[in-house]
Amino acid sequence: MAPEQRSVESLASKLRRRQIVGSRATALETLLVLRQVVSKARFSNMDQLVEIIRSVGRRLVEAQPKEHSVGNTVRKVLHHIREEYQTATRGSAAVSVPQSFSIAKFVLLGQPRQHTLAPKAESKGTLKENDPDDPDSFARGLKPVLMEAIQDVLDELETVYDNVSKNAKDHIHSDEIILTLGMSKTVEAFLKSAAHHRKYTVIVAETAPLYGGREMAQSLSSAGISTFLVPDSSIFALMSRVNKVILGAHAIFANGGMFATTGSLIAATAARAHSTPIVVCAGQFKITPLWNLYHEYGALDFGDPSSVLGFEEGDLVDKVEVVNPYYDYLRPELIDAFITNDGDHPPSSIYRLLKETYDDEDNEL
Amino acid sequence: MSESSSNQAATQSTSFDIYGTYQRILLNQEISPPLAAILALTELIENSPAGTMFELVTALNAGADAMKTKSSNPISLDAGCELFIAFVTLFPHDSVSFADLKTKLIRQGQQYADEALTYRRKIAELAVSFIKDGSVILTHSYSRVVMQTLLLAHERKRISVFVTEARPRGLGIKTAEALTAAGIPCNVILDSAVAYVMEKVDFVLVGSEAVVESGGLINAVGSNQIAIIAKAANKPFYALAESYKFHRLFPLSQYDLPNQNARIFSFPRPSPSRKPSISGSLSNPSSAIDSGSIEAAPTTITQEQISKNNPDVDYTRPDLISLVFSDVGSLTPEGVSQYLVGMFAG
Amino acid sequence: MPVPTSIDPLPRSGPPASHQPSQKLMTKAERRELQERQRASKLAQKSAPGGGASSTLVGAPATSITSKQKPPSTPSQKKFSGDVNGAGPRSAVPKDTNASASVAVDDGTSGRSVSRGLRIFSHFGLTKAVGHSIKGDIHPAIIRLGLLFSEFRICGANARCIATLTAFKNVIQDYTTPPHNTLSRHLMTHLSPQITHLVAARPMSVTMGNAIRQLKLEISGSDIDMIEQDAKDALCQKIDNYIRDRIIIADEVIQELAGKKINDGDVILTYARSSVVEKIILNAHEEGKRFSVIVVDSRPLLEGKALLKKLTNADPPIHCTYALLPAVPSLITEVTTVLLGAHSISSNGSVYSRAGTALVAMMAKGHSVPVMVCCETYKFSEGVMLDGFGKNELAPARFSKVPKNSQELTPTPFLEILNPLYDLTPSTCITAVVTEVGLIPPSSISSIPLALGKTTL
Repeated sequence: MAPEQRSVESLASKLRRRQIVGSRATALETLLVLRQVVSKARFSNMDQLVEIIRSVGRRLVEAQPKEHSVGNTVRKVLHHIREEYQTATRGSAAVSVPQSFSIAKFVLLGQPRQHTLAPKAESKGTLKENDPDDPDSFARGLKPVLMEAIQDVLDELETVYDNVSKNAKDHIHSDEIILTLGMSKTVEAFLKSAAHHRKYTVIVAETAPLYGGREMAQSLSSAGISTFLVPDSSIFALMSRVNKVILGAHAIFANGGMFATTGSLIAATAARAHSTPIVVCAGQFKITPLWNLYHEYGALDFGDPSSVLGFEEGDLVDKVEVVNPYYDYLRPELIDAFITNDGDHPPSSIYRLLKETYDDEDNEL
Repeated sequence: MSESSSNQAATQSTSFDIYGTYQRILLNQEISPPLAAILALTELIENSPAGTMFELVTALNAGADAMKTKSSNPISLDAGCELFIAFVTLFPHDSVSFADLKTKLIRQGQQYADEALTYRRKIAELAVSFIKDGSVILTHSYSRVVMQTLLLAHERKRISVFVTEARPRGLGIKTAEALTAAGIPCNVILDSAVAYVMEKVDFVLVGSEAVVESGGLINAVGSNQIAIIAKAANKPFYALAESYKFHRLFPLSQYDLPNQNARIFSFPRPSPSRKPSISGSLSNPSSAIDSGSIEAAPTTITQEQISKNNPDVDYTRPDLISLVFSDVGSLTPEGVSQYLVGMFAG
Repeated sequence: MPVPTSIDPLPRSGPPASHQPSQKLMTKAERRELQERQRASKLAQKSAPGGGASSTLVGAPATSITSKQKPPSTPSQKKFSGDVNGAGPRSAVPKDTNASASVAVDDGTSGRSVSRGLRIFSHFGLTKAVGHSIKGDIHPAIIRLGLLFSEFRICGANARCIATLTAFKNVIQDYTTPPHNTLSRHLMTHLSPQITHLVAARPMSVTMGNAIRQLKLEISGSDIDMIEQDAKDALCQKIDNYIRDRIIIADEVIQELAGKKINDGDVILTYARSSVVEKIILNAHEEGKRFSVIVVDSRPLLEGKALLKKLTNADPPIHCTYALLPAVPSLITEVTTVLLGAHSISSNGSVYSRAGTALVAMMAKGHSVPVMVCCETYKFSEGVMLDGFGKNELAPARFSKVPKNSQELTPTPFLEILNPLYDLTPSTCITAVVTEVGLIPPSSISSIPLALGKTTL
């Protein structure tokens, strides 16, 4: 097995066993594997390259279908690679598009884009697909720009927290009371960044049964933010004094809804009942071009029941059914704004953002 | 080609019986009106002597109009025509000969119709992932795509179905018979019992005549009230729509639909001639029997009169719809309008 | 019985929402102590000129000023001394007005000295352990009960009310009217310090307040010419009747009424543990109805586990599902009825109950699942409550165990751990209140004559 194949397999097995947790960590790992794959890949035209990347993507997504950032990273890389390829070949390949224009495509993609009808430009000649004499020439010519494209994605991922929180002080004002829950690295960075400019208070719900909120409270208070740790049960009682609810996301869907750690839905519903704004901090890589996942039961992912009702309860464990979902689905109506590293967006813009970030044909890898 | 031939083309295309063709294609149980319309239009191209794009589009528009005026329910048919004509106008025509282009277009139309027949399966697959084991589903009237979804769901999960009777056409009975034959527990409910049954229902699943630009839905009359009740009960309302039913239309109200007809809900004005007879019958009941027997006949209201005075379809506002499942994905109502804008408002 | 250790040996007496320092935090305690002292002296200054408000005020300033290193809660000390001096039963039942007054005082003074943190939380106070020193003539039964209260051994609104009344029966039986006094006028003076002692252990519940108010009425109404023992027996009988009619029989009626709403195949969701709800479920199960129960629970108290044990020990066992509060949204879709208990219900129909109840009711409302709150009429509390923030109680930190998959957190100047015990469910989230007089929409609670005490026992 080639080394790049091995790294794909090793990541896939890590994903399957949930040894990598957190969307950003997964995205980073995926990206590193893709970089390796692309650098070693042998291809003589664009379609071959795309297929290589996609097959790696499929393999990883299959390993852990619930970690959406894997697929998103692959889609993003594909999008960037195509862009680089377009600029490198100056649209010489675009003329093939009208040939495949059909009613179904028309429905799916809308009117043919202007650039596809652009006059054929003289190809630079350095990049020649399917060169019979030297099948590797295409890959050789393209690889530097491809690596650059992947590096761009990597850079973006590495600065994601900084970029999400760069405007934190515009969202959190002095003496505000913020409610958050769970442990989200993005929210943590956001709140800490705001604390450089503002004095405010955070109420953290401990978020049973994983109690990520406790970790969050610890981290925020050690950064000098006035922090109150409360049980989940008091969210409603305290909500009347909360100015803003700030949540993290697991995956954001095309309709503007999202998956977030359990407890987010009760907090968001309580906030709605008090007309308290709900703001979600998330890196752009969490935006997922999937439609059929946001469902109250569709993708419920259940955690270990023993964290809810431990074995110390004796025979009780055998007698009762324990439900311990990982995520809640939040409808777009419950969210006021997404703060991403790519600017602030209302839920209704996510759809458009997706179209700009990924290519439609990659929605199904 | 000269101008005279274009005139000739127009006359010839009218001689081609497009509505008959449409009806003939529709005999195939699998083909729905928009697809039949697309196929009828491809046959029109085949029979059309049009030599330029302009002529062809004129002929297609004329054909579409002919079908629309003859059809009793032109909304979904119109969606098909519109899609095809928009496609034809946007089709890159750098072909050497126009005849070549026409064959290409015909082939495209037929290909699409073939492909479109798989859409219901695609939609069913999509929708089934939203159906939980043990779901109780409310559906309305009869819809092929809903049938296919329910049958597919039945293969994988336990479901039970309430179906409205869906007056005036009573197609709910057809749905119930088909479902029962397939072994799905099914109950026909009165259209007036929707609110009663809603508490037991997990979600509502309806087909569609058309999905319009607002993201709203046009479907067999009664859908709107089901959606309102579902909203009030906080139950999801899902619509199934093949993408060829996306229709560029923006109804502002129920009465802003294209098939409006003044007959519907017009209050019958008591004819002046009857007035004396009514007063006479009141003052003199014995004489009214003879003179009023003919006059009084209209006071017994027949089913035909009711259905004649009622609309076939109604419009459901987008905010009442949870999701639209289509072959291009499961869309929010806004998503539908984004597709429509992409196609027609470029 | 474990005797809680506390840094401050002083007994704390205070109205339910009084401002109390956290004894767990030394730095904080010190800071708070400073505030308390400031507040005390400020109050003293205030009350000195206008001292005529009540005879009790006279002694108060002196006490609070001299007691330097013990942070006194001035308002309650006033009351305490007042009661001893025979100021009357009026002060025995802390009213909301009392509580809000002390909140106002907190807001006025403590904020200035708190450099960080939030003044708005200051009125939550903290329940404290009953100290070893007992002031005044406290009956052993009351001392015992005080410990049970502060240890949350007796925790529910009904249980606390029954326990209090039962203990009072002992107190009454052991009471002898001093010479030159009558029972109807002196007994309440004797009871007041007992009540104060209980309140010091844990803020008084509405149920206790209502029952004590009723008891006072009975005491003041007892016949002066009656032989003392007869009068005491009559009072004990009255207490028994109150427990029987307003709680025991009321619960039986509620069981029957709510039981009628449970049908075969239902999925009943309940939150934490309510004695009434437990009885309803067990009773309906005994009647042969076959339904399943979802028990939702949350920290700090995790009371649902006790309910779960009861239900699974039924024969045949009731099918139970257990989940923590954040999982409610995934379960609520399957639920046919939500049954909840209540601590008290206010005249605008909002239900003051275990923290988390409001979230459950809110989610149920969002899914059109009927929410039934089971609540005896004696839990009615006059006045309007608008949110669960204004009046609340904190669970002592020792009752919230560290979850096993989380590290121990120690409060720091920047980290405070709050465990509010109650929240307020708006009446819009409640379908029906099941009382012994029938199923009632929450907004009509105030028109039940029995709840208003307009009918005698």
